[in-house]
Amino acid sequence: MSLTHLNARGEAHMVDVGDKDETRREASASGTIRMRPETLALLAEGGLPKGDVLATARIAGIQAAKRTHELIPLCHSLALSKVEVGFELDEANACVHVSATCRLTGRTGVEMEALTAVSVACLTLYDMCKAVDKGMEIGEIRLDTKTGGKSGDYRRDAGPVEAPIVTGEGESGEVSLGVRCSLGEPCILVKCLAELRERLGVGEISIPFSSLERADIGGLKAALKARDERFAGLDEGRVLCAVNQVMAGNATPLTAEDEVAFFPPVTGG
Amino acid sequence: MSRVRVQQQPFDAGEEQRRLIEGRTDIGAVVGFTGLVRDFNERPEVQALSLEHYPGMTEAALASIVDEAEARWPLQGVRVIHRIGRLAPGDPIVLVVVASAHRRAAFEACDFIMDYLKTRAPFWKKEHTASGDYWVAEREKDHRDAQRWEVPS
Repeated sequence: MSLTHLNARGEAHMVDVGDKDETRREASASGTIRMRPETLALLAEGGLPKGDVLATARIAGIQAAKRTHELIPLCHSLALSKVEVGFELDEANACVHVSATCRLTGRTGVEMEALTAVSVACLTLYDMCKAVDKGMEIGEIRLDTKTGGKSGDYRRDAGPVEAPIVTGEGESGEVSLGVRCSLGEPCILVKCLAELRERLGVGEISIPFSSLERADIGGLKAALKARDERFAGLDEGRVLCAVNQVMAGNATPLTAEDEVAFFPPVTGG
Repeated sequence: MSRVRVQQQPFDAGEEQRRLIEGRTDIGAVVGFTGLVRDFNERPEVQALSLEHYPGMTEAALASIVDEAEARWPLQGVRVIHRIGRLAPGDPIVLVVVASAHRRAAFEACDFIMDYLKTRAPFWKKEHTASGDYWVAEREKDHRDAQRWEVPS
C-alpha cells in the first residue's frame, strides 16, 4: 500500500488518470452535526432567522461537490452525473445526520466529492443556525461506501464485499449445466469447458458483477484472476470465449446475469 | 424435422437422406457426408472418443452455419447431425446432407458446412488410446480449409 499522491521522491503530485478505463463510480459519505434540542426544534419548524436551513444546506453540499477540485489540491475536476444530499433529523440524539452520494462514469473515484458535500452541508447548517446556537459540533464525517474503480468496493460496516466461490469440478466428457448465479446479488455465471475445465480444475463459478472493475470480458478475466490464481491459465494457449453463447472477445461488454464460457479451440466434426 | 440435431444415439445416413428428399421433385442433387471415428489420430490405437459440447450454443452455431450456406447457395434442404458422448472407432460421428437443384451447389455447400462446423461449432474431442487420454488439438489445416470460403472484401 502506498500513497498515490506522492511521487518516488515523496513530493505531492496529481495522479495521471489518462490511461485508466472509465467505469461507473459511486461514493456515499455521511456526517453528523449536534446541537441543542431547542435548536433542532427551531430547524424542524423552519423558525430560524436565515430561512429554509435544509434547502440551503442541500444546495451548498451539491455546489461543494462540484467544486471539490478547487478545495482539495490534488483532486481532479470531475463531471459528476449525480449528487444527492440528504438530511435526517434525529430528535432523540439532538443532531442532524447528513449524507451525500456522488456518481459519475469516469477515471477517478468520487469519495472526496461525497466527503466535501457532507462537510460543506454541515458547515452551512452551522452557519444557518449559529445565531441561536454557537455550541454546535460537527463530527463523524466519513466515507460509507465506494463502488467502481481498481481498488475495489468498500463498505464501512460490512468490510470489502465478499461472496462465496461456487465451483464445479467436472469429470472428463461431462457437461456442466448448473443453475444460474446463486449469490443473491447480480453476478456473472462463468463456465470453463472441455480441456480448459480439466486444466484449471474449475467447471463453473459465479462472480459478483460488482467485482468487475470493467464491465467487459477483459475486466471479468482480471476479476477471476484476482479471486483464484488458477484462472491465470486463461492466458495459456488459445482460449476462446462466448457471452450468452455467442462468440466474444476481450472488449465484449457484459451486463449482470450474463453467461460467459471460456473454452479451447473447437475440434468437432 | 429440424435442420440440425445434436444427439448421443447413432443416425442412419440413408434414412436421413430419404426423408430429406421425400415427395420432392424439384431436387436434382443430394450430397451426403458422413464422418467416422478413426482408430488412429494424433496417436495410434485410438480405442474410443468422448465428445463434449456446449448445449444451446452448439445448436445455435450449427443453425447459423446452415443459414450462411443457404444464403450462399440455392439449397432445397439441409440436414446436420452431430453425435456427442463416447464413440468407438468406426462409429459415425457427423452427418451433413445437402439437397439442391444442381450438383455444384450441393457439393460446395456440403464442403462449406463441414469446414465451418470443424472450426466454429463448440465441440471438443477427447481421445482414449492405449497410451492414455488426451484432448485433440486444433489443426491449422482445418482453419486453412475454412478460410477458402471467406469472401474477399
